[in-house]
Order: sequence, then structure tokens, then C-alpha cells
Amino acid sequence: MYVDLQVEIGVNAKVPLTLRNPVMVASGTFGYGTEYARLIDIQRLGAIVCKGITVRPRRGNRGPRIVETPGGMLNAIGLQNVGIRRLVDEKAPLWVQWDVPVIVNIAGDTVDEFASMAGQLDGVPGVAGIELNISCPNVWEGGRVIGEDAATTAAITEAVRARTGLPVLVKLSPEVADICGVARAAEEAGADAVSLINTLVGMKIDTRTGRPVLANVTGGLSGPAIRPVAVWLVYAVSQVVGIPVVGMGGIASIEDVLEFILAGATAVQVGTATFAEPRTALDIIDQLPDAVCARGRASVHELRGLAHSGRDR
Amino acid sequence: MKLFTAFVLDNEEIMRATNVLTLRAGQVARSASPGQFLHIRCDDGCAPFLRRPMSVYRTERDTIQLMIRDVGAGSARLVRARSGDPLDCLGPLGRGFHLDSHARNVLMVGGGYGVAPLVGLAERAVHQGMSVTLAVGAASAELIFPPSLLPEEVEYLVATDDGSAGHRGYVTDLVGERLAWADAVYACGPLPMMAALARVVRDAAPRKRVQVAMEERMGCAMGVCLGCVIETTRGPLRVCTEGPVFDIRQIVWRDEPAALGTGG
Ligand SMILES: Cc1cc2nc3c(=O)[nH]c(=O)nc-3n(C[C@H](O)[C@H](O)[C@H](O)COP(=O)(O)OP(=O)(O)OC[C@H]3O[C@@H](n4cnc5c(N)ncnc54)[C@H](O)[C@@H]3O)c2cc1C
Ligand SMILES: Cc1cc2nc3c(=O)[nH]c(=O)nc-3n(C[C@H](O)[C@H](O)[C@H](O)COP(=O)(O)O)c2cc1C
Repeated sequence: MYVDLQVEIGVNAKVPLTLRNPVMVASGTFGYGTEYARLIDIQRLGAIVCKGITVRPRRGNRGPRIVETPGGMLNAIGLQNVGIRRLVDEKAPLWVQWDVPVIVNIAGDTVDEFASMAGQLDGVPGVAGIELNISCPNVWEGGRVIGEDAATTAAITEAVRARTGLPVLVKLSPEVADICGVARAAEEAGADAVSLINTLVGMKIDTRTGRPVLANVTGGLSGPAIRPVAVWLVYAVSQVVGIPVVGMGGIASIEDVLEFILAGATAVQVGTATFAEPRTALDIIDQLPDAVCARGRASVHELRGLAHSGRDR
Repeated sequence: MKLFTAFVLDNEEIMRATNVLTLRAGQVARSASPGQFLHIRCDDGCAPFLRRPMSVYRTERDTIQLMIRDVGAGSARLVRARSGDPLDCLGPLGRGFHLDSHARNVLMVGGGYGVAPLVGLAERAVHQGMSVTLAVGAASAELIFPPSLLPEEVEYLVATDDGSAGHRGYVTDLVGERLAWADAVYACGPLPMMAALARVVRDAAPRKRVQVAMEERMGCAMGVCLGCVIETTRGPLRVCTEGPVFDIRQIVWRDEPAALGTGG
């Protein structure tokens, strides 16, 4: 039986984005897309979200930068990246030749930085969309994470919207007082989708030395450990916005993807699980048609949000 | 480099808490060189979730051997592997040692399980007619790599912290005079030992080319997560991709926190 896997993001954007399937790979877990190309068929992915990019190149944090914790890991990479100029000059020309769309994840310290990067990416061949990392827990501005409230989120999204016709995804942090309010603010300011969740702040102490393992002291928690938090927030946010919700957090199997779709996600991103098993996203794509069929549906859309009470079953 | 399933052919304890696993690895065995590593899934689930990097210890036709020290959940599972078990491997990864074919006298310095990548290299060097000295350091005698597993042509120097075997003290005490003799130096061991070696080299033979295999906690091993990045004079570099083998002069050493109760 034919199962429709296709997903649209940014139906109102000047340049809408059509994904062949709803399974993308998450920012920071797939580099610039080129690294895994030697190992797996990256062209079959729904989309690739590249490593978070900043206006200027960044050297990142001192090490140790990562440590495994139960069911996941902490990372404090510190947004090490080549900077937007080199991304446009050196990476985008490679992406033009790919079938798989590449979404560029950008991280700014100010509204202006977000806007200027969006402007630089607009119209660049090879760039299919922009994801706003308004929630990176390792980069602080005046002691607080940028984008932790609805007003800043709206300001950043609006400024970016004004500078680009590309689909804009706003990536949300789970560590805000009111994630639904932030999501609604993003939608009203013109976002084409929200993606969630980014990592949760955590810490690991080495009992031998008595010191935190990470040089940065804290890091962002990712992996299966955060999945229940992510499923819940996707469930909550998808009830208050009309734009697509892209779900992520600990996805490692087809079962996990079904959970996110049932919770209300239109598409998903696989992150940390790729480190453990590089084929995770491709395996999920292969298994998705049968999984949808087995639940008596002909498309992923028909499964979306079924977990919400009161919906037709 | 590829994803492959390697079947365990043999698993032998060679010293305390340290086993040699022999894997059937097909073509991969032929392309793997000393200093490169495999990234291995230790559990199907989350115990642990991430793969663990293990150096190529020896290769022979279509087999790869690993030397694994049990230090935690992941390595413990590998040490318990049984003949016939499938291991989910990614590799060979990283840039290994470059064995300088013009070298006549080769010095190798290893600490703890850091001798793993040096043994295969020593065999190759001996095979090419080089004179090889391997100096190793460990906490005590039962953690010293058994000499019976080394080619007889290799001169073997031993240092232990407690003096239970060889020189009582650091392995770096032993290498000073050998540095002038050596045309090429290869090293692998705990960070503090490698940092000490770097100081000895800087003071005694600053022009000597020393290749060191570095260790850092690793995530993807494919160069994307930037977790295993270390500071170097060339900027931040990935142990998994630009390394694990580096020129020792390029490493910017960091202070490791001392253990609680050691007065450090
Ligand atoms: C390129 C490379 C090659 C390696 N080759 C070998 C090899 O041939 N044989 C071998 O036995 N081991 C080797 N190692 C080390 C091995 O990967 C680790 O011992 C293993 O990952 C530990 O995992 P675990 O689950 O057993 O222990 P964990 O539970 O993860 O760790 C046990 C303890 O060691 C500490 N620890 C773990 N990793 C590091 C690190 N990188 N630096 C400092 N402390 C750490 C943890 O904090 C913890 O206290 C290599 C590492 C690298 C990067
Ligand atoms: C090593 C690492 C680096 C990351 N870097 C970024 C980044 O640059 N920008 C971003 O928006 N998210 C980044 N993330 C967060 C992931 O994209 C994702 O939101 C999070 O890890 C949860 O998904 P997971 O549990 O499937 O990994 C990073 C995650 C990891 C593990």
C-alpha cells in the first residue's frame, strides 16, 4: 500500500519547503552534512539541519566538552563553527548539488545578528530554510539565555521574517516558564514552524576529583533521557499553534517517532541517537510506511495529534 | 571507514582487568593501521548509549585485535564479550601513526592501556628492521603489559609508581637519555604522563618529532559533534578526525583536577 510521507513546511513562505519524508537530522549532530556522507546515504533524509552558525567563527569551549549520562549525554560545545561567511562560500555550494534540503541553524547574541544572518542566507542556492536557535543553553548574554520570553522571540522572528523569504523554523527551549506562550509569539511574528526541544541544562560531577566533569561546569542534556519531556511539550505546543511542530528529543526508533507524531508533530529530528547508530534516521524512514499502514492510516498526517483527547480516532 | 559487524573470535585476559579481543573484521583489518581506532557499540540500549573508542591493537590478515581495560560500564561489557558475539563497529577511524621509513632507532612511550596502539606499531617497525625501545609506565606490576606479547627484538623498559616492577617512578625518568638516540618517537598514555613527556622533550630535544595519540571523551567519532576537540597551536582540533595522533609540540596541555584526598 502506498503511504504518503511528504511534508510541507512554510506553505505561506515565498519559497515553501517540501520534505520527501518527515525525518530530519538535528542541528549539532550532523555537522555540515558532508561528514556522514561517506558512511550513509544522506540524500534519503527528509532534511539536514546544519550545525548552529554565528556571525563570526567561534572556537568553542575548553574541554572536556561532553560526558555520557544515563540515557544520554551532556554537551557544552560552545557553538564552535566556521561563521556565516564561510558557510555561504564553502558549504552552500556543496548543498546545491544535493537532493536533500539543508536548513541552516543560526544563533545570534542580538536581534540584529539574527536579522543580518537571515539576510545573508536569503536567496543563497543550497539553503532551503532557516532554523533560529534562540535557545542555546551554553551561550549567555548578560547572564540569561536569549529568547527565554515571548517578547524577545517575537522580536527576533519578526526581524528575521523581514529579511528572508525562506521558511523560518523557530527552535524552542524547554527551559522557559511558558513554552506555549513563546510558541504562539513565534507564530504570530511569522514563523513557518516551531521545532522543539533544545537541550535541558544539567551537570555531572566526578566523584574522584570532586569537580564538575565539563570544563563549562554545565552542559545541555540530550538523548533518550529527555524524550518524555519532549513528547509532553510537543503535545502541549501543538495544541496552541496552527503552524507545523517539528519534534525532537531522544528519538532513537520508529516507536519514538510515532510517539511524537501522535503527540502532534508534523515532522521530527533525530539528534544524539545518530552518534550511537548513524543509520537511525534512515532506518526510521524505511520503517515508517509499514508503521503508518499497521495503524490503518494512509499518510503520516492522519496519525498526527491522535493522542489529543477528543480527536476522532 | 564503514559500519560493520565484527564477530568475536577470541577473548583472553592478558593482565589485570585487561583483555585482548580478537575480531573477524574482513577487509577492514587490512586497511586499519596503528593509532587508528574503532568506535564500538557496547549495548543495544542505553547502558551505555554512546559507542566507545578503542585503538587498533594488532591486525593480522582479516582479524583486528583490541586491548581493552575495564574502567567502566562500556569497557566492562566489551571485556565480557564471548566468542561468537557480534560487535557493532564503526571504523577504522582517525589518522594513525606515521611510521617514518627512514627512521633507524625508534622510541615508544606508553602508559597504562596506552600501550595498545604502540604494540602493533612496534611490530611493524621491527619488521622494517628498525631498532625499537618501548618504555612503559603503570601503577604497579600487574598492570604492566606482559613482555611475552612483544617481539623479542624490542627492548622493554618498565617503570611503576610503587616500584613493584622495573624503575620506581615515572616512565619519563627512563626516556631522557634515549631521546638523543631515537630518530622517531611515538607515545600514548594518560594526559598527565603525556604532558610530562612533552616537557621532557621540550627541555632535552626540542626539535625531536614526537607523535602522540591523544584521548578525549568522544561522541560521534565522525567529526560532527565537536565533543572530542582539544586545544592545539593550530586551534581547536578534533581527536577523532584530525587525530588521534598529533605532533606533541602542538598540544596545549590543560591541568587535570587532582583526585580528592591526594592533597592536590
Ligand atoms: C582514540 C581513543 C582510543 C582508545 N583506545 C583504547 C584502547 O585501546 N583500550 C582501552 O582500554 N581504552 C581505550 N580508550 C579509552 C576508552 O575509550 C575509555 O576507557 C572508555 O570509553 C571508557 O568507557 P566506559 O563506559 O568503560 O567507562 P565510563 O563509565 O565512561 O568511564 C569510566 C571512568 O573514566 C572516565 N573517563 C572516561 N573517558 C575518559 C577520557 N577520555 N578521559 C578521561 N577520563 C575518562 C570517566 O569519567 C569515568 O570516571 C581509547 C580512547 C580514545 C579516545
Ligand atoms: C553535541 C550537540 C550539539 C548541538 N548543537 C546544537 C546547535 O548548534 N544548535 C541547536 O539548535 N541545537 C543543537 N543541539 C541540540 C539538538 O539539535 C537537539 O535539539 C537536542 O539534542 C535534542 O535532541 P536529541 O535528544 O535527539 O539529541 C546539539 C545537541 C548535541 C548533542
